[in-house]
Amino acid sequence: MRKSGKKGLIQVFVLVMAAVLVLSACSGNNDNNNASSESPSPSAKASDATNESASANPDSSADPLGKYDPPIEVTTVRNLSDVVENNVLGVLDGETFEDNRWTRVYEDQLGIKLRNLWVVKGNPESDQYVQKMNVTLASGDLPDFMAVNAVQLKQLAESDMIEDMTALYEKYASPLTKDILSQEGTGPFDAATFDGKLMAIPQVEPSIERSMFLWVRTDWLEKLSLQPPKTMADVLAISKAFTEGDPDGNNKKDTYGLGVNKGLWGGSTGLEGFMAGFKAYPNIWVEDSSGKLVYGSVQPEIKNALKALQDMFKGGQIDKEFGIKDGGKVAEDITAGKVGMEYGEQWNSIWPLQLNKNNEPDGQWRAFPIVSETEELAKVPQKFSTTKFFVVRKGAKNPEAVIKLFNMHLEKNWGETAEFDYYYAPKEAESVWQLSPVQPAPPKKNVTAFREIDAARKANDFSVLKGEAKTIQEKIDLYNSGSEEGFAVWGWERIYGPEGSMGITDQYDKNNQFLIDKFVAAPTPTMVERKSTLEKLQNETFIKIILGDPIDNFDKFVADWNKLGGEQMTQEVNDWYASTK
Amino acid sequence: MGGRWKRELPLHFMILPGLLLIVVFSYIPMAGIVIAFQKFIPAKGLFGDQKWIGWDNFNYVMDLPSFAQVFWNTLSIASMKLVLGLVVPIVFAILLNEVKNEAVKRSVQTAIYLPYFLSWVVLGGILIDLLSPSGGIVNSLLGSLGIEPIFFLGSNNWFQTTLITSDIWKNFGYGTIIYLAAITGIDPGLYEAATIDGANRWKKAWHITLPGMRMVIVLLAVLSLGQLLNAGFDQVFNLYSPQVYESGDILDTFVYRIGLLDAQYGVATAVGFFKSIISFILIAGSYFFAYRYAKYRIF
Repeated sequence: MRKSGKKGLIQVFVLVMAAVLVLSACSGNNDNNNASSESPSPSAKASDATNESASANPDSSADPLGKYDPPIEVTTVRNLSDVVENNVLGVLDGETFEDNRWTRVYEDQLGIKLRNLWVVKGNPESDQYVQKMNVTLASGDLPDFMAVNAVQLKQLAESDMIEDMTALYEKYASPLTKDILSQEGTGPFDAATFDGKLMAIPQVEPSIERSMFLWVRTDWLEKLSLQPPKTMADVLAISKAFTEGDPDGNNKKDTYGLGVNKGLWGGSTGLEGFMAGFKAYPNIWVEDSSGKLVYGSVQPEIKNALKALQDMFKGGQIDKEFGIKDGGKVAEDITAGKVGMEYGEQWNSIWPLQLNKNNEPDGQWRAFPIVSETEELAKVPQKFSTTKFFVVRKGAKNPEAVIKLFNMHLEKNWGETAEFDYYYAPKEAESVWQLSPVQPAPPKKNVTAFREIDAARKANDFSVLKGEAKTIQEKIDLYNSGSEEGFAVWGWERIYGPEGSMGITDQYDKNNQFLIDKFVAAPTPTMVERKSTLEKLQNETFIKIILGDPIDNFDKFVADWNKLGGEQMTQEVNDWYASTK
Repeated sequence: MGGRWKRELPLHFMILPGLLLIVVFSYIPMAGIVIAFQKFIPAKGLFGDQKWIGWDNFNYVMDLPSFAQVFWNTLSIASMKLVLGLVVPIVFAILLNEVKNEAVKRSVQTAIYLPYFLSWVVLGGILIDLLSPSGGIVNSLLGSLGIEPIFFLGSNNWFQTTLITSDIWKNFGYGTIIYLAAITGIDPGLYEAATIDGANRWKKAWHITLPGMRMVIVLLAVLSLGQLLNAGFDQVFNLYSPQVYESGDILDTFVYRIGLLDAQYGVATAVGFFKSIISFILIAGSYFFAYRYAKYRIF
């Protein structure tokens, strides 16, 4: 209290001030930026020289995979996730976040030296990362290239701070890159195009990977003599039984039916799959009966889903502390054997469920298709999932460098010279690919791998497999061998094995169950300003209702949502939708 | 006159660094208030071609459903902290002053002063563990007394109490030392005279110690009134979570989330500007009352 002392009166300006001071300094310098890079600083001279020699030597550097000679330095900003810190760098000797197999391949083969201006620990969604990113954007002091989200991309494009990539992409992207990045349709590129100019390279992500599954502890099901869920009523009944039936046999009521994290959504312990069971599709734009687009989060079906969750919370089936537990904390509960079900994506068996398996070798999990209130097949919502866009600072010496990184990343994993086992997912460190600052991947790669494995399984001939599918099958074989090493890849068997989650994706696809986010364009002006605040309003309201607020607060939320920009956003989205027809 | 000026000149130089800090960190940033009236895009710069939107940001703030709640939270948390932050150290200083064993007195003094030096980042982590309803030591103790676990940091009934208590616990050692110093300055002759007149310890504390501390109490009270809208960003930020926004979200954390996380700079500045105006009125008011009724003046 006293510490904040005299700053009190103007404390708020401290926040703005940092940005302001840097800004005024920068805006003054803006015109000089080019001039100052011509000032006799040795490094600037060196890169100038590089540039000249590069352009004088088109044979090597103009080639999508050609090398800069002498090498160039390119700056970026990164986040260091838990997975990379512990499961990758923690187990690899002699590799660091700054110097590893990916930075080496970029330097040795492309002549691109990467330097991180800053690194924040945590995921890109963490408050720390978002805050650091916003300060970086506000200061105008950008690295040569970086990953931003759709809203940030739009702001940068409108304030003319980033390079037009249209011609560069045409010229420098390798045929493999162009092929792979176009596999998800034109949506990702539309979202990065402003006034006909491509302002960023989208790291195309497959919507199909956002499919939700219901992961259930089948050993608990057996213990309590329950059947796998066919309807939402079954899910609720199982949740109740898992809470009250003492499935872990310790005579204490210390288990939860459903694992939920405080963010409510996401790839593991999220609620999208649960809500879809009530025909509620939060966070995506869906078409209503009149053919207009409406936002899923404000439709009346959400109310039913919230009501069900509230009842579960009252019954102790959801952790009463869930409102302060992030995905990592819920994972700890799952590890400790306290959680019986969770909604998540296909990879959940690798994380966090493998942790539970390690802890309780007799525990067993299995993915089930999400279910609806009746026996009718549930729709599986698929959010538009390309959220990372690589932008290049206006005036960067080598704006094409990031495209070459894309080329190399794809080439080393899925090209002719691919060494998938070394660069993507070596057994000792599954997530090695995350060491690279750019991480494009073929959108359908997992489904494709599953289909190849499944075909081989049916034909009983695994010799035809190659690349990723081969690596995965080796893991399944290792698991089936029953060895200790095999135990550690249990998670892979749960995905690609005969009863694995990818089989369900395949089934979803064949049954035509996907409900795709209808809005696939750059964010509208109101979204840029208000979306983030509206999302928070939504999540806070939902959490509070689950914790016991009157269910009718949802109606007030809908009114507030509309008033605070939602109505305008809906209008803008529909204008866009009309223009695409 | 000239001699005095010469004599005091070095003292005036000594004030310069302080003035400089105030100008740089308090006055220059005031230019940033313009952001509250703009649709602010940082990339264009503070004096760049921003779009002026009049009072739109303020209207938007008033429309935000949580704003009124946040404002009242700030007031109630800060005023409770302010009152207890005055009373607790005074009471404690008087009690400690009565302890005759020097060794006990000094060790208690040091012990209660210690938490003052820990940052809320550290204390926040410690408190979250201590107060956890599943396995925290406080709830284990309550449990052994047959009390149901209390979710101190997750219940809207308890969060403010937890904030205020932990803040007082952290900071009262600091105030206690100031008051002890003030007590040391009281003329021992007064106590001797009172003893001869037959006053007991209670009477002496009431009639000599407390009046003797009056000036220091008024000084600290006036200084802390300036913070009536500062409910303690570091503390709340490190302890709160979305489920206690209803009781624990304060103006500063609200500004932080809207500004740095949602990047709505205009709206955040509007909230901050609003807070500054209210704070200014409160400070001017409290100074007026202190001058009027306690003859206290800074200048």
